[in-house]
Amino acid sequence: MGSSLHIKYVVMDIELKDAELVLQIGSGGGREAEAELFRRMASRIRLYGLRHLRDEQAAEDLTQQVMITTLEALRAGRLREPERLASFVLGTCRMTVLDMRRGAQRKERLLEQFGADLLAPVQPSLPQLDHEQLTRCVQNLKERERTVVVMTFYDEQTGADVARLLGVSEANVRVIRHRAIHQLRECMGAAA
Amino acid sequence: MSCVNPLDAAVLADYWLGALAGAEEEGVELHLLDCDECGGRLREVMALAEEVRKIAREGSLRMVVSDGIIERAVGEGLRVRQYAPPAGGGVECTVTAEDDLLIGRLAADLSGARRVDLCICDERGVEQLRLADIAVHSGAGEVVYQESMTFAKASPSMKMIARLVGFDEAGVERLLGEYTFNHTRSLPGPGAW
Repeated sequence: MGSSLHIKYVVMDIELKDAELVLQIGSGGGREAEAELFRRMASRIRLYGLRHLRDEQAAEDLTQQVMITTLEALRAGRLREPERLASFVLGTCRMTVLDMRRGAQRKERLLEQFGADLLAPVQPSLPQLDHEQLTRCVQNLKERERTVVVMTFYDEQTGADVARLLGVSEANVRVIRHRAIHQLRECMGAAA
Repeated sequence: MSCVNPLDAAVLADYWLGALAGAEEEGVELHLLDCDECGGRLREVMALAEEVRKIAREGSLRMVVSDGIIERAVGEGLRVRQYAPPAGGGVECTVTAEDDLLIGRLAADLSGARRVDLCICDERGVEQLRLADIAVHSGAGEVVYQESMTFAKASPSMKMIARLVGFDEAGVERLLGEYTFNHTRSLPGPGAW
């Protein structure tokens, strides 16, 4: 990627909202607007994919397919209300996840059509946490909070399951979990 | 650009866990598709969840656990060493280098206890640590306690007494059970904390 193109991205990031990019793409605004929209939306779609597919490669596939569908629609001017981009992308994410679960594969053909350079993978960027510090933070939680957090994140029990096992209400489990998460974040130096 | 209506980290955790109702989940997803600041916070929550998972697998936490946690650990190939001394009695115990989790199963009648504490005492019965208001079901019939594997592997031969105490509605404390663990060091070296 050349430096002049990079400068344009930065300028667009400051000056243009998502809806303005949508209008640019719809009016034949070119590859720079598409690349900027991809840069913004890809990481957001990827989070959706990780949440629903629980697999990094599948989330990457989802990101590419949703962006392709979105760019197709924008090029064709099918998104009549640009400020509803998030809603359009969410609907596309849902449909694509359903498609993926049904095993529909048209990725290779579309990659050829749109070009692999535009659709380069966005690497996961989970922040690195201080393991020893977090261990101390977890150990310093109240007993119920620690047990609920470990049952939730390690054993992947639902709130209803935890409630049944501990003989408390599901709402109570949610309160305990929320309190624990806030305390862990505070202990790790993050805002709520 | 700063988010004017940031999503709370605990709500984002609920989202990540799939614990939000349909309409609430849709609201969160629409927001996340429009907001990198909250997306960043979700990534922090995801990292927190992942790191907690790693910490749980290490067996270094002193805590009350569920059978589900133990079953998951076994399913993941972790080696779990368990002891179940009778109430009022003791058990000979140790840990080896290959062990990942160390569990004590403390049988007790928990019914009627509004709150249960687990006290860890030295060989004289002097309380060294109290896990207050542990997470147990009053009908469970036992408390499943995980001792820190880091602590146990470093420990010299010693005697540890675990004591379960309950509090009734009036706040009166009563002993529910006392359990003695006679730990013999089997790892090389003298052991020291």
